Amino acid sequence: MKRCPLLAVLALFVVAIAAPPTCAFERVGDKKILVFAGRQEVPTIDPSVKYDWSIRMMQQGLYDALVKYVGNPPEIVPWLAERWEASPDARTWTFHLAKNARFQNGDPVTAEAVRWSFARTLKLNQGPAWMLSDFLKEDGIKVVNEHTIQFVLSQPYSPFLSFVPWWYVMNPKQVLANEQGGDLGQKWLTDNAAGSGPFKIKRWQQGVLYELEAVDNYWKGWPSKDHVAGVIYKLVRESAAQRAALLRGEADIVEGLSADDFDQVAKTPGVTVPNFPGMTTFGIKMNTQKAPTNDANLRKAVAYAFDYDALIKIYNGNAVLQTGPFPNATKGHVAVAGLPRQDLGKAKEFLAKSGYPSGGVELEYVYVQSLEEERKMGLVLIDNLGKLNIKVKMVPLTWPNMVARGAKVESSPDLMAVFATPVSTDPDAVAYQYHKNSWGKYYGSSFYQNADVWGLIERARTASKWEERAPLYADIQRRIAADQPEIFGMLANRRWGMRDWVKGFSFSPVRFTGEVDLYPLAIVAK
Amino acid sequence: MLFGLLCLTFAISHVVPGDPARLAAGPDANESMVQTLRAKYGLDRPLGVQFVRYLAGVARGDLGQSLRSRNAVLDDLLMYFPNTFELVTLALLLAVIVGVPLGMLSAVYQNTWIDHVTRVVLVSGVALSAFWLGLMLQLLIALHLGWLPLGGRLGLTATPPVPVTHLLFVDAVLRGEWRTLDDALAHAVLPVITLCFPALASIMRVNRAEMLETLRQDYIVTARAQGFSGFRVVSRYALRNAMIPTLTMIGLRYGWMLGGTVLVETVFDWPGIGLYAVNAAVSSDFQPIMGVTLLIGLNFMLANLLVDFAYGWLDPRIRRPAS
Repeated sequence: MKRCPLLAVLALFVVAIAAPPTCAFERVGDKKILVFAGRQEVPTIDPSVKYDWSIRMMQQGLYDALVKYVGNPPEIVPWLAERWEASPDARTWTFHLAKNARFQNGDPVTAEAVRWSFARTLKLNQGPAWMLSDFLKEDGIKVVNEHTIQFVLSQPYSPFLSFVPWWYVMNPKQVLANEQGGDLGQKWLTDNAAGSGPFKIKRWQQGVLYELEAVDNYWKGWPSKDHVAGVIYKLVRESAAQRAALLRGEADIVEGLSADDFDQVAKTPGVTVPNFPGMTTFGIKMNTQKAPTNDANLRKAVAYAFDYDALIKIYNGNAVLQTGPFPNATKGHVAVAGLPRQDLGKAKEFLAKSGYPSGGVELEYVYVQSLEEERKMGLVLIDNLGKLNIKVKMVPLTWPNMVARGAKVESSPDLMAVFATPVSTDPDAVAYQYHKNSWGKYYGSSFYQNADVWGLIERARTASKWEERAPLYADIQRRIAADQPEIFGMLANRRWGMRDWVKGFSFSPVRFTGEVDLYPLAIVAK
Repeated sequence: MLFGLLCLTFAISHVVPGDPARLAAGPDANESMVQTLRAKYGLDRPLGVQFVRYLAGVARGDLGQSLRSRNAVLDDLLMYFPNTFELVTLALLLAVIVGVPLGMLSAVYQNTWIDHVTRVVLVSGVALSAFWLGLMLQLLIALHLGWLPLGGRLGLTATPPVPVTHLLFVDAVLRGEWRTLDDALAHAVLPVITLCFPALASIMRVNRAEMLETLRQDYIVTARAQGFSGFRVVSRYALRNAMIPTLTMIGLRYGWMLGGTVLVETVFDWPGIGLYAVNAAVSSDFQPIMGVTLLIGLNFMLANLLVDFAYGWLDPRIRRPAS
């Protein structure tokens, strides 16, 4: 029969190319390589240029900083610096470096390397520069001796230490050897590293995968003898494919599954789902300078009409309501008494006091296109505000368009769904979101205006003692809550899907969404 | 045409809201940082100056810089385009190899079970979303049956061959890396089938309609009357005449597929220009958007040129100059 040869060839072809049985995790010889499947690319690993969760996860593996955030609640621990002191006025910060710290090429980590790294970031004025550039100038960074570095700030700034974990130290000799056209090594550091971290780059396939290899003689040592010999961060963009990769054993850790998917995989034998309250707040920002939401009573009415329990249900119970404007894990967080919860009676009372006593207005709710949770929150708003005779128009936009809309008072929406993650545990990182200098940024899209609060924020950041700062931040939180520039929503839990042979996972809420500290991870196979 | 395309793309990408410098600087960046990036990438210049500088760069082979990837756009395109080219070419080849015979069979056996089955395939190809089809294939064949990989171009520990042409299949053959070729083929099966299906349906539909029309022509009746075999009548006389509009469809599909691979690339983690273009568009990263537009436009033109040559090969009347 003429068809037989064709079918036979087809069958042979399928057999020839059929995938081999999948390994439980990647093994190369006797080394165990962890596979992390994530959706977000790593366009650059230059510590001075950019950061987001995937970039910083790689940077944290390749580089070290003077100090590091670990644990939950987050604590700043010595790293390249074994100890430090701050002057009583919080203007001068002195760090003493560990004498055994080495870059991966064997060069010692010296105070000069630290000085150069900080100066480079300030000069390039990108990435983490905003954290310290208002207070630290290049000439304020002083090398005291080979292992002592001093930062003299232009004015007192107590939160200084809380940002230092994100300023990684680079080997200037290595970077400058690869400089092109005076770019301070920017092109080379896009996909190369000059760090002292526990991992080095093995493979960098942009848009496909990024492989790190453990540095066996890492100067700080390893917390476990079963530590991973390497990490492959593989791009898997679709959440269904991530889930399939986890279940098939092709990925050891995945991030970014939907709430339902996390619940499903948690029931699978051999899979665990670490689940922790995060520091990312979700709020519905209200434009406080444009009608109708410039009416404080209308804002209160909206806040009291909203069904806060729906936020928790949307995440299948994996979220906690905010108890104040600051995330719970922020230092100095206070639970503000009387923060609105759904109360239709109170909502109507405030509406009656507003300039729209019968409602009759339409509010535009802008949210991130394709983010299902935010869409559902919009539906909740439609239902809740409908009881006040307030219509809600849902407008999905891409993130860049939302940022563009929120950049000006005139165009900033009445209601805008915003997730915000502070980069440090210092309350200044959150309080400053309500300062006028944050207008135009996505978290400042409410254009909050309260000169007293701004004054308190400026006082609090320059006070040197926590005993002086704490009551100021408590006052700030209460005043912001009273002004109701947003619906203070919830903190979604951070979750990952993980195979149960992955050990050593250490959560710290100050890390970004999918970010994992790769250093303590180990694979212990059954 | 390419110049017009560039003008239009430049205008549209600058009219839509979004500040690429602010997006590239990061959500926490202060105004000074945003200004630094604007100055670095020339975004603080008037639009006309930006456009002229861009055109001058294109003339030199410099397609600008991506704010998102921080690479030269040309480097990015060289990295991503070959992957899309291989995917689209294989998918289109498969669509032609399967679609043309199926269209032919469907026409020859009109209103029989063969016609009904092939028309089910046709309607499915048009109706089914590529995204859904890809996910279902992944679920069934990769996850449940474990026959093929979930996604990507190569296995996790595999290294691509040292590039010669930057086309993975070709380079694997040229370097004699047969295991890499085997691995690459296994990874290509599901995305190629997913991408091929809508094209197959279109090609089949056009070919079937043209074949039906052609089979009714007098010269076909004459050929049958002259005793030629059914196979010869269909393949030599009918198909050749029906292929002209089919070729047009194939050329059009090629262009559409080049520009429409993003869903397949997303599902199967295929590192192609579809994803690159979408990421650039979402980040308001103008120069990659224009680079991709230029590249797809060029390819579309080339494809149409090849189709024109194919017309001449199929129909001697077209290639013979008018007397």
